Amino acid sequence: MGKYVVKRVLLALMTAFIVLSLTFILIKLLPPEKSVGTAVTRQTYYDNQVSLGYMTSSRFQLPDLQLVDFVTAKNGTVTYYYEVPVMEQYFKWISNILFHWDWGHSQFIEPNVKATVIIGERLLTSMKINIISVVVAVPIGIALGIWAALKKNTMTDHVISTTVMILISLPSFVIIAFLMLLLCYNNPILPTQWPNPTAPTSEKALGYILPVFSLSLGSICGYCRFVRAELCEVMESDYLLLARTKGLTRKQAILRHAMKNAMVPIFPSVLAEFIGIMGGSMILENLYGITGIGSLFVKSMTAKDYNILFVDLAIFTTLGLLAGVLLDLSYGFIDPRIRMGAKK
Amino acid sequence: MNKKLRAALALFMCAAMSTSVGCSFFGDKGDDSSSSSSGSAGPELTYAQKADFIDMEDYKVYLSFDLDAIKAAIGTSVSTEVAAAVDAALAEGKAAITAATDVPTAKAAYEAAAAKMQNAVPAADGTFNFSGLSAAEKTKILGQLEAYGIRNGMLGMTLFENGGYVLVNERIQLATENYISGYGFGILPEGAITADLAAETNAAWKRYYHSVDVADPGTVNYLDSQGSDVGDFYGYIGASYYTTFMNSTKDGYEWVPELAVADPVPVDGLDANGQATKWRFEIRSGLKYDTNSTIADRAAFKNRAVAAEDFITPFKLLLNQANDLYRGNELANQTGAAAIKGAKEYYEATKTSAKGISDADFSGVGIKVYVDEEDGKTYFEYELGAPTTAYYSRYYISSSLYMPVPADFINLVGVDNYLNFSEDKSTSPVDNSLSLGAYTLERWDSGAQVVYKKNPNYVYANTKYSIPGVHINILTAAAEDKEATIKEFLAGKVDSCGIPDTYLEEYANDPRAKTTTGDSCFKLNMNALDQETWISLFGENGSYSQTAEEDYWEVEPALSNAHFRMGLSYALDRKSFAQLKGSVASANYFSSDYMSDPENGIAYNATQQHKDAVSYLTEGTDGYGFNLELARDYFRMALDELEADGLLEPGTTEDPTVIDIEIVWMYPTHQEGYHNHVIKYWMDAFNDASVTGGKYKLQFTFDVGSDYMYAYNKMLYGQYDIGFGSISGNPLDPLNFLGVNSTNASISGDFTLNWAVDTNTLTEALVYNGYRWSYDALYQSSQQLTIVDDGCEVAAYELTKVESVENADESLTVTIVLENNPAVTELSLDALVVFGGGYSVDYDEWELDESMYTVTYDADADTLTMVVTLPKTELAKVPVDENQGIDVYFSYTLNGNVASGLYVTAYVALSE
Repeated sequence: MGKYVVKRVLLALMTAFIVLSLTFILIKLLPPEKSVGTAVTRQTYYDNQVSLGYMTSSRFQLPDLQLVDFVTAKNGTVTYYYEVPVMEQYFKWISNILFHWDWGHSQFIEPNVKATVIIGERLLTSMKINIISVVVAVPIGIALGIWAALKKNTMTDHVISTTVMILISLPSFVIIAFLMLLLCYNNPILPTQWPNPTAPTSEKALGYILPVFSLSLGSICGYCRFVRAELCEVMESDYLLLARTKGLTRKQAILRHAMKNAMVPIFPSVLAEFIGIMGGSMILENLYGITGIGSLFVKSMTAKDYNILFVDLAIFTTLGLLAGVLLDLSYGFIDPRIRMGAKK
Repeated sequence: MNKKLRAALALFMCAAMSTSVGCSFFGDKGDDSSSSSSGSAGPELTYAQKADFIDMEDYKVYLSFDLDAIKAAIGTSVSTEVAAAVDAALAEGKAAITAATDVPTAKAAYEAAAAKMQNAVPAADGTFNFSGLSAAEKTKILGQLEAYGIRNGMLGMTLFENGGYVLVNERIQLATENYISGYGFGILPEGAITADLAAETNAAWKRYYHSVDVADPGTVNYLDSQGSDVGDFYGYIGASYYTTFMNSTKDGYEWVPELAVADPVPVDGLDANGQATKWRFEIRSGLKYDTNSTIADRAAFKNRAVAAEDFITPFKLLLNQANDLYRGNELANQTGAAAIKGAKEYYEATKTSAKGISDADFSGVGIKVYVDEEDGKTYFEYELGAPTTAYYSRYYISSSLYMPVPADFINLVGVDNYLNFSEDKSTSPVDNSLSLGAYTLERWDSGAQVVYKKNPNYVYANTKYSIPGVHINILTAAAEDKEATIKEFLAGKVDSCGIPDTYLEEYANDPRAKTTTGDSCFKLNMNALDQETWISLFGENGSYSQTAEEDYWEVEPALSNAHFRMGLSYALDRKSFAQLKGSVASANYFSSDYMSDPENGIAYNATQQHKDAVSYLTEGTDGYGFNLELARDYFRMALDELEADGLLEPGTTEDPTVIDIEIVWMYPTHQEGYHNHVIKYWMDAFNDASVTGGKYKLQFTFDVGSDYMYAYNKMLYGQYDIGFGSISGNPLDPLNFLGVNSTNASISGDFTLNWAVDTNTLTEALVYNGYRWSYDALYQSSQQLTIVDDGCEVAAYELTKVESVENADESLTVTIVLENNPAVTELSLDALVVFGGGYSVDYDEWELDESMYTVTYDADADTLTMVVTLPKTELAKVPVDENQGIDVYFSYTLNGNVASGLYVTAYVALSE
């Protein structure tokens, strides 16, 4: 088992390395940004790119390098700017990480600040909102699922199932946009934006309502549907019938047997949901002004702040892969019949 | 032609013509166009000859009108003899046009007359320098260049000016209700806040001015930023030597000293042009820094007095190349009067310095602070790269980038942290900045809010800036949602906002609504080149840039026709468009904030010169260049002319000839926002049976890239038909900005968006001071000493010979000849630098010892000959690479002015 775990973890790290390397190379293969403006503006911009190590300049044409632009100065002299070969940039980047654990600094979003520091700060905000939303979503979703299953094919079940079907198809950012209009602008009950750190505690607390509700709604529906389906299936199984014939009440049979078995596939999905906590919600965070990791990802993409983007990607890729490992292992703990890496 | 317009043209022409020639055809012809000359007796005309679309008589009127426009462009600065010759050519031309019976003949008569009129004006010859002229005189040049640009399709077509409607909270007391171009309503400096903002929960900030920004810049380090966003945040804490405040009549602004005491004065007096390079001003005493940092070592700088040497520190900081500051690089790269003498050299010398304040020799930089022994006052002296007037010397030196800062503060916080967050975010810009400006940073919550508090130490703290603070909320939603800000405003959380078009109807007449003018005109830039000129500029051997043959752009012939372009311009209903979009209707090239005489607050668009220039587009229209009937007439003329030139062939009503024009836009949202409106105006005007008879169809293709640079890159390299975009220059020097329209890269700085004619040829009347000029020649003369030959700008020097001979002792003799224009009185060598490498091996270069070469200047032949003999040992040092050669650094003297720092490269194989 231990060997299996080590092997899976190493494989996950190797995959993360490959994914990150490919992402770096592919992103760097995008055409470099050209500057627009007067000769001085453009020359200054390109010189800055040279100092950052992305470009190289020359007073003459270098046929083997990719020309980005040239600048003609007032006195007629021309400076050519070429892109530094992508692999050269890659090896520099990767060696800084491997040998110095240096993921670089932010260039545009928070110049001078370490990319890892910015990510760490933002990660906390996203996690807070997402943990609350999971804490809210799991019990409500499971409870609704159980209720619907127990009331299968009654009006209660139909109402719950239909509502779930409608709401599950709405993305969280659509919900929050609608709720913002309804509860912030048209009827000012809740804060219009994520409260600032200096806002009173009461306002801060109110600030959680919209994002948590928007994020958890989808999860509630998901759990509800999942639990209902699992429980309905279990409740129709032979062993539950046997339990009833043994003399157990319906309540006893459900609590002692049905629930226990129905929860086997539910727990890993709750675990996966917690991994998703780190991800934040790109559009939702942007709309509500939440200083989380989701909005940071979008911002780093648009600002071409690659160091932040790569740390962001590294975290999610690694966590996603490790979560897969953890998920697989969790089956073994939840259901002892499942053994991984065991010798025959 | 519609009756009203025709009558107006008739009156205009009769008044303008000195003879009765040409007037006769107005009176006796009815509106029935069927009696055009195409139906007269004689040999049957081909479709290319016939006036199939425009009424032949109308066509003649329009051509005569164009001749009058040329006459107007020539103006009154020419001599009496020249004026008479122009009048004679005009009369002769009109007579020939009247006598013409078909389109080609009339067109040829027009072209011959136009050429004769223009050639009557003598071309400028000699060396000229108009840079020291008065603002009024420069405005004349500006007007002539603008008019020339409009007539030749070089300036694109303005669609709208930004600006429009804004909502301002009732609690804000504005200093003026009328928006001042380039200044605003003066909310912070002259305004006041009369009530608390209820939505603000922090009691101390209730009277702060509340605004939003779409993104947190993460820094106030304007010294190292590329965009204007950081500059805006830095602006609150920054101070300059001079600043602007609203004038007493509240209709403009005026310059006042801020860190200085009074206006700059020339150190060595003014030259004959009223200019100087060396200036000085007295430094204000009693200045004190402010900070709201709570960290003890930073807080210690609060109320610390500004020392004289603190004025030098920002320059040392910026120009230390090791600090790698963006604006430092920019400052080092500046040229002309915008440059500081010796800055470039210091920047180069500090390449290997340590970060921080370099101990490199600063004495060569034209910045000094000293106590004058005569009056005991402390002066700041600055020497610019070229002579300029007092006004512009003040303008160039008045940057908040140069705000004093103590060197020990930089040493304390570190160059990397100065104005930034520290890399672990343990300190913020609040701790890493000092203020001499109107406000001081109070709080910074990343991605959430930035707060400034009034600086009690600010120079004008007691008389201006009564608002106690500024709160900027970061509203990321506004990046995607144009309604986000107004929603925040209506929720009572923001003090002002723009009104998006979706809210215009509801709020345009709201009592809180104010109108603003803009700082940029958004244009439909045109590729009006014919294929031949396009190839000469962009082809495989293009003079501007080189394009492989398979990537040649196939130009749209219709766009090279002036009447077609005018048709497009007249068809644009700019007024309706602006009302629809909440922007400012404009047909002007410059936005409202460009000042031709900034010292006296005169906006260029208000001058007669501009009105004359733009009248070519706006006369007979709604004031913004829209007249549907006129547009259709111009389209009719264009079709006949394009057929006559063999550029178009008519189709049939079943299968019309399609004129397909591609428009490249900056963003996908522009399709719905702009493109669909614009093409509707154009297609409604053109695709009318009365215009084309069903033989032609105008259609448009929408093109957009992944980002706005796609559009700019297409325009910069002539790979487009029409492109949407806007560029802005220095609003206090509109004449300087016209350089971007040159097809000469060293004038435009590779930044030409419109392509129409080679700007260094005498294609059409551009007359100033009684002489005829090419666009480049007149523009360059307005900026610097320029050699002009036959009206065109010519180079001062040219590398004419590079020859190498291998000697028996394996040394190499290289002969380099540099030829100067005869106007140049002296050409002298400064240095010869051998270089090699950079491609396959590392680059290396070094200056040659004088013993290795001889220099001869032949004043009769105007040649500077350098014979370089490189011994084998020297050759062996040159890195083996296909890039090798000798850089010739030289200077020349023209009219007593020395141009230095120039070099040409003589490529020659030196080692193998």
